[in-house]
Amino acid sequence: MSTQANAAADRAVMSRLWNAIPWSDVRVKLIAGLIILVAWQVGVAAFAPRFVAKPLGIAAAFPAVITDADFLAAVVSTLGAVLKGLLIAVVGGVIVGISMGRVKFFDRMLNFYVNGLYAMPMVAVLPLLAIWFGYESDARLATIVFAAFFSIAMNARDGARSVPPEYLEVCKAYRAKRRYIWFDITLYSSLPYLVAGLRLASGRALVGAVIAEFFVSLEGVGMYILAHARSFQHNEAVIGVLALAAFGLFVEGAMNWVMRRFLPWARRG
Amino acid sequence: MIKLINSDARWIRWLTFAASILLGAAIWEFAGRNANPVFMAPLIGDADTPGAARSLIGFIGDGQFRDAFLSSIKLFATGFLLALVIAVPLGIVLARLVLLRVALESYILMLYVTPMVALIPFVLSILGFGFWPKVLVVVLFAFFPILYNTLEGARSVKHELLEVAGSFRASEWSIWRDILIPYTLPFALTGIRQATGRALVGMIAAEFFLSTSGLGEVIMIASRTPDMANMLAAILLIAGLGVILMRGAQALEQKYSAWRGVDG
Repeated sequence: MSTQANAAADRAVMSRLWNAIPWSDVRVKLIAGLIILVAWQVGVAAFAPRFVAKPLGIAAAFPAVITDADFLAAVVSTLGAVLKGLLIAVVGGVIVGISMGRVKFFDRMLNFYVNGLYAMPMVAVLPLLAIWFGYESDARLATIVFAAFFSIAMNARDGARSVPPEYLEVCKAYRAKRRYIWFDITLYSSLPYLVAGLRLASGRALVGAVIAEFFVSLEGVGMYILAHARSFQHNEAVIGVLALAAFGLFVEGAMNWVMRRFLPWARRG
Repeated sequence: MIKLINSDARWIRWLTFAASILLGAAIWEFAGRNANPVFMAPLIGDADTPGAARSLIGFIGDGQFRDAFLSSIKLFATGFLLALVIAVPLGIVLARLVLLRVALESYILMLYVTPMVALIPFVLSILGFGFWPKVLVVVLFAFFPILYNTLEGARSVKHELLEVAGSFRASEWSIWRDILIPYTLPFALTGIRQATGRALVGMIAAEFFLSTSGLGEVIMIASRTPDMANMLAAILLIAGLGVILMRGAQALEQKYSAWRGVDG
């Protein structure tokens, strides 16, 4: 009798917790996530070899990996390189892109190359960069810059071209100084495009970093995943993938926040 | 003078374009002739230092190269079409079943932002070598951009339209044909454009890191020798392939972009 009462009390607590979750959307998502995890666990346990990652195995490995000095060093190394590469790509890409957007001569001179290199799959130049920069971390940085630069330059160009002509006419009419035209008008109104370019670039930069680590066997998250997948420690390797996904989600969230907080005047699309 | 250079006259545009090509080629040629041949090959070159252009012409008559090229194209096409055939219908189904869409969209976004290269080691150690594991890599690269963008379109479908269709007892088929497909198609095409670029990366990455084959193998062999002329020629070819595929996808996207509702 008392166990039944306990169970009823438990159920009441559970349902109160459940009702505390504010939106029905979130509940649906949680249930779906649970179903996916269960299906993954059961499916892999039933059909796949024993070393394939399972949610429970990942959860069991999680505390050890997250406190592992090697893993943390790998994360710092990869993300540090990505941020450094992005910084270089942003500075260079903005200068090149905005000059292309505002000066037709630069546009005609560079557009062919920027477009062509943007469309080229960056993996293809990886062996070339490895030969040029050596089989070390410089090659990774070069890959990241190469991956990120062109999408930023292209977006900066589109942004600079989208400056409303009335603004420039007003500037001209009031004989505004050149630096106002470049920084306060052109750069400022291309900011939404730069954010879009940066979002694209950071995804590509992450891919570039991981591929470069595979290729030149460099310490980092990519190498961590590769080494553990090779030695059939898939649970640990999946945590490396989760770290990359977390970075991707963080960038996505940060960009959305920046757009809402600082650039609410930009129209969506 | 500056006014003239920046003017929109047709001959000025063509002249600057030609100058840009010539200047680029000249810089390449100069660098190739003066750098260590281990690092750089010229574009045209001479008898001692053969250039990338000659390698490119050599590729055309080379049966082995033709096989490599065709195997790359086959890998790309198989993977891309598989991703397309699964992702677009799935995206539209999610437009129809709102509950399923709400349940899955966060997870799809998560997979969309995950760099799929990171999954290559898993594919390698679970499925091993061969053609189909490589196809799986291309599918992984292409699938989520298409699905994510189609889903974006699915979210833009106006609820009123479905309600009106429902109250006039429209058949399921006509709901798909007249509402769901026209609404999601422009978004799906944006995804397809993104996916062509990513699938090309996936193709080369699969050819590098799984069993080497195709154009990836051509580059790998050239990088080991190192035969810079062959390597640059192969890279040039891949860049050309990328530009052509990208342009095609862009043209397709633009053709249907007018279907995107102005207020959608």
